[in-house]
Amino acid sequence: MTRESYEAELELLREDITDMAELALDRYETGLEILETGDEQRARQVIEGDHELNQQYLDIESDCIELLALQQPVASDLRFVASSFKIVTDIERVGDLATNLARYGREAGGGLDIHATQIGETAGEMFEAAMVAYVDDDAEAARAIAARDDTLDERCRETTEAVIRDLMTTRAWEPDGVGQRLQSASRELLTVRDIERVGDHAVNICARTLYMVEYDDDLIY
Amino acid sequence: MSEPEPETQTESTDEQNESASLIDTHVTADSETGRPRVHGESVVEARNLDVHYGEEQALSDVHLDIYEREVTAIIGPSGCGKSTFLRCINRMNDLVESAKIDGQLRFRGTGMYSDEIDPVALRRQIGMVFQHPNPFPKSIYDNVAYGLRVQNETVTDDIVEEALRRAALWDEVKDQLHTSALDLSGGQQQRLCIARAVAVDPDVLLMDEPASALDPIATSKIENLIEDLSQEYTVVIVTHNMQQAARISDRTAVFLTGGELVEVDDTATIFENPDDQRVEDYITGKFG
Repeated sequence: MTRESYEAELELLREDITDMAELALDRYETGLEILETGDEQRARQVIEGDHELNQQYLDIESDCIELLALQQPVASDLRFVASSFKIVTDIERVGDLATNLARYGREAGGGLDIHATQIGETAGEMFEAAMVAYVDDDAEAARAIAARDDTLDERCRETTEAVIRDLMTTRAWEPDGVGQRLQSASRELLTVRDIERVGDHAVNICARTLYMVEYDDDLIY
Repeated sequence: MSEPEPETQTESTDEQNESASLIDTHVTADSETGRPRVHGESVVEARNLDVHYGEEQALSDVHLDIYEREVTAIIGPSGCGKSTFLRCINRMNDLVESAKIDGQLRFRGTGMYSDEIDPVALRRQIGMVFQHPNPFPKSIYDNVAYGLRVQNETVTDDIVEEALRRAALWDEVKDQLHTSALDLSGGQQQRLCIARAVAVDPDVLLMDEPASALDPIATSKIENLIEDLSQEYTVVIVTHNMQQAARISDRTAVFLTGGELVEVDDTATIFENPDDQRVEDYITGKFG
């Protein structure tokens, strides 16, 4: 492979990862909508469509291994391939979390009201911005996005506390009963946990981007 | 050139004192963490080293330390001066009439080009292995013994065996020591040349693309051997094979066109995060 075609392969890898991230983000945003609407058909599309993301993940992983084996990249090329190899895992996990949200929304029949949409949007924005930083080799943006994670974590903690507080005040004789309330509270807590994880994956992508661009591994370790 | 700044610099009090070390560079700053990194003693020191072949400049203002019991790889494009540097270290350029050497090159603190240095004695301490195996048309035994005999030293079977063992060749040739060295395979011939070099117990081993003419299996044996040899010897290897440099060396020096030493650092740093954009471009194949 000539240097030109090698560079084309590297660029193709970047494009494939961008496409996969766009699909994962789309699925995630749909998952957030399903939390509110409980739309069964859309939930099925997200859940059944996860295999598409999984296949993209495997294809990109294979491309990375091939580049490492055949091109033995070094310096910035090595950091790009190594970072991409790790980032693609984070994207795939965001896809998995999107299917979780779709399941919670479908099971609840929508109406999950725990500010999930709001914090979910924040996590989605972080993920999207992290991918832009990766594509643009933008270290400063990566640092700024990672710094937002503390705020997201705090909001997730507050929401978790609110759910638990609400559960503790539920009375057995109330119309929906403790059993039902336990189920919904459980879904709400899982929802918050998964949204918080999307933020964590955004931070991971920022960490790998910083290593890729500036050889800065502070966020990795 | 971006040789990491020495952590401690102890200038010689007498610049005319040929036996004094120029700079105590046993400790360098780790380019990643900034922490001091301890090396062995500096065996070879180049300072402001210029080499010309007639009007053509082959090396330009080279500053480089070769540390004891480390493998130092020298890489760079053709014509960048890496072999010239290697040849300076054991004064092989003395044989090139047009070669003119300026600056300072010291071996364990003594100027290599000072009048008190006997080039033949120097070459005993600094052995050389070339790109193409060059055994003499003699027996395996006589090849190993050659260096000792020309220096009128006693040759014993034990010395020959030890040299062949150090070169990882003994098990393959112990039953045919008195057959012609030319009957060996290319890889075996190269290891025989290494045995010949280590038989005189040198301080430094210079290797000029020692595996470039060998197949992957023979190359692998040579690379393993270099790693083993670095436990006892200081090794300097010139190679065009960057993966080889990455595999076997502790430090890598990158020369670029014009004989300029552009960057030297620990090998992991050179191949993961070089400091100089020209090095980045060269090792990633964008230039060179």
